[in-house]
Amino acid sequence: MRIILATTATPFVAGGSTQIVEWLHRQLEIHGHDVELFQLPVSEAYGEILDQLLAMRLLDLTQHGDRLIAVRSPSHLLRHPNKVAWFIHHYRSAYDLWGTRYQTLPDTPEGLAYRSAIVQSDNVGLQECVRLFCNSGVVRDRLMKFNNAPAEVLYPPLLDPGQFRCGVYGDYLLYIGRLTHHKRQWLAIEALRYTRTPVKLIIAGCPDPGAEPYVFDLQHLVAKYGLEHRVSILSRWISEHEKVELFANCAAAVYLPFDEDSYGYPSLEAHAARKPVLTTIDAGGTNELIVNGYNGLVTPADPELLANAMDSLYKDKDLARRMGEAGEQRIHDLGINWDAVITRLLA
Amino acid sequence: MKIGILISTVPFVRGGAEILIRALHAKLREYGHQALLVRIPFRWEPPQKILEHMLACRLLRMPGVARVVALNFPAFYVPHEDKIVWMLHQFRPAYDLWKTPYQGLSDSPEGQEVRDFIVRADNSYLAEASRIFANSEVTSARLKHFNGFDSDVLHPPLPYDHQFSCIEYGDFIFAPGNINEAERQLLLVQSMTHCRSGVKLLLAGKSESEANSDAIKVAISKGRLEDRVTFLDRFISEEEKVDWFGRALACAYIPYDEDSYGYVTLESLLSKKALITCNDSGGIRELVKDKVTGRVVDASPRALAEAMDGLYYDRAEARQMGEAGYGLVKTLDINWDHVVRVLTA
Repeated sequence: MRIILATTATPFVAGGSTQIVEWLHRQLEIHGHDVELFQLPVSEAYGEILDQLLAMRLLDLTQHGDRLIAVRSPSHLLRHPNKVAWFIHHYRSAYDLWGTRYQTLPDTPEGLAYRSAIVQSDNVGLQECVRLFCNSGVVRDRLMKFNNAPAEVLYPPLLDPGQFRCGVYGDYLLYIGRLTHHKRQWLAIEALRYTRTPVKLIIAGCPDPGAEPYVFDLQHLVAKYGLEHRVSILSRWISEHEKVELFANCAAAVYLPFDEDSYGYPSLEAHAARKPVLTTIDAGGTNELIVNGYNGLVTPADPELLANAMDSLYKDKDLARRMGEAGEQRIHDLGINWDAVITRLLA
Repeated sequence: MKIGILISTVPFVRGGAEILIRALHAKLREYGHQALLVRIPFRWEPPQKILEHMLACRLLRMPGVARVVALNFPAFYVPHEDKIVWMLHQFRPAYDLWKTPYQGLSDSPEGQEVRDFIVRADNSYLAEASRIFANSEVTSARLKHFNGFDSDVLHPPLPYDHQFSCIEYGDFIFAPGNINEAERQLLLVQSMTHCRSGVKLLLAGKSESEANSDAIKVAISKGRLEDRVTFLDRFISEEEKVDWFGRALACAYIPYDEDSYGYVTLESLLSKKALITCNDSGGIRELVKDKVTGRVVDASPRALAEAMDGLYYDRAEARQMGEAGYGLVKTLDINWDHVVRVLTA
């Protein structure tokens, strides 16, 4: 099939949304399709949003390809007679973040007008889709609540889960992810000071652009609690090989973001290495994947409760192993694989 | 430096420009820059669509990018405070192809209006560029003639690092490329009926229209040329290509009014093979001078046949011209070191 894959990206900002498109692109080609990728630049500044919405409307793909798959918003505004969206998140300031401290649109009549224009144009673009998919239950619920648009959840798989392996259930917990405040690596450090076992913590990932002060805060926290010999912070890009090795020998993975839209690739990577995931009840999409006591532990976002869970994972290696293996089974049961995703996107 | 490469492209059309931008992207990264390739969809029929895509480009932004390098219309409309235009070609139906059989813009009543609009907008947005380069003298001259802008020629190097070399001077003329009407492979086949020597012709490449490839096949059988013309209507591998360049007597590349010299020309000269082209072939003539680095003749079967026979009968001359062409490419500094240095200066 000739497929146009379209998405948007802020130039030079890589993240889950660029990853999902890159992997989908490769998997579509592996599945024998001819793929044309358009990755259109966007600015997150609200003053430029309307211009960009119009640009999407004007770019014309209607004469080409058997199907358009639109991923990141607002690429679903591109026109195509056979369009599906794999919707991964809204322009959240106009939706669930409206009225919170994360709202970037101004709380003025102008801001309200922007918000309304964004919602209305999303409604148009979403209604045009012959099928609408999303990446998590969280996003599905938002699409229903704000846009009255029913969507089917298609969980995004890893590009190549087979590269991960399970070594030993070692003496450290692993927190992999971008270093940024809402991922709450700081909470993992806070928790570690309450542990009763000598469990260690490795925090690894790239700092977000401008997040250098946050990394400094993390290091400061470690020093403050005298945890230097139990916490390592690898503040840099981690190669795939290094990541595989880190997962292979950890006791469990830790993933404590605040209210994420989706489960996050680190959870999948942990399960691919047959490791359980420790997360919190307010982590958002991660809770769709991790069932407390089955394939991981889920606690309130409280350092002492997290510390208890960390100790259990360190002390009870059988528990860690059992839950890690259940994790692998859970991925299978949820149908998180490329064959399933591609079959649905092209149905 | 964080550099954004901008190009407008019709979906699923993968020509020389596509290959060039991927090479440019890879080379900028190889030289330690952060490079982002932004391909913007384009559609040009009906003419109204051209205006819509011009506007869309004007509405896009490239935040967080230190410099953009825009390669064609209307990608160079994207606003940016540090914009270099490396023009591969303008929107030719509005310029040099206007009112020729090679475009459809002037056939519609709104065409004149759209054309005027394109020229005015091009003039406005070219003025935003901090520097303008053109990929050839032809493109540069057109920018001057139609829009009044000066530009420096920056020759695109080959987009890959294959080692071309001369193996021998065989008995065939090699003509690789996309098989289409504008590249006039049919004319080459027709020329073969006028050849008196034992020269052979090897056409190789994927045809873009069945009608054209059928016409070529009919011409071969009607001219009873089966023994002397080989038509490989398929994608050819890079290894095959390098080998045929190495073994050919000479090469032929006779597109109608091409903007740039074309990779075939560069590959031919790097393989030390003389190139046959036509005096209406455009940019190829920047590298091919008649009887110096190849033959430049009328776009007629008789003239082409004479050139092919001539090279067949005088191999020493064929070799001499091929070697002169090789020397010329080295002298002109057509390489990525130079391109990266100039675009990131």
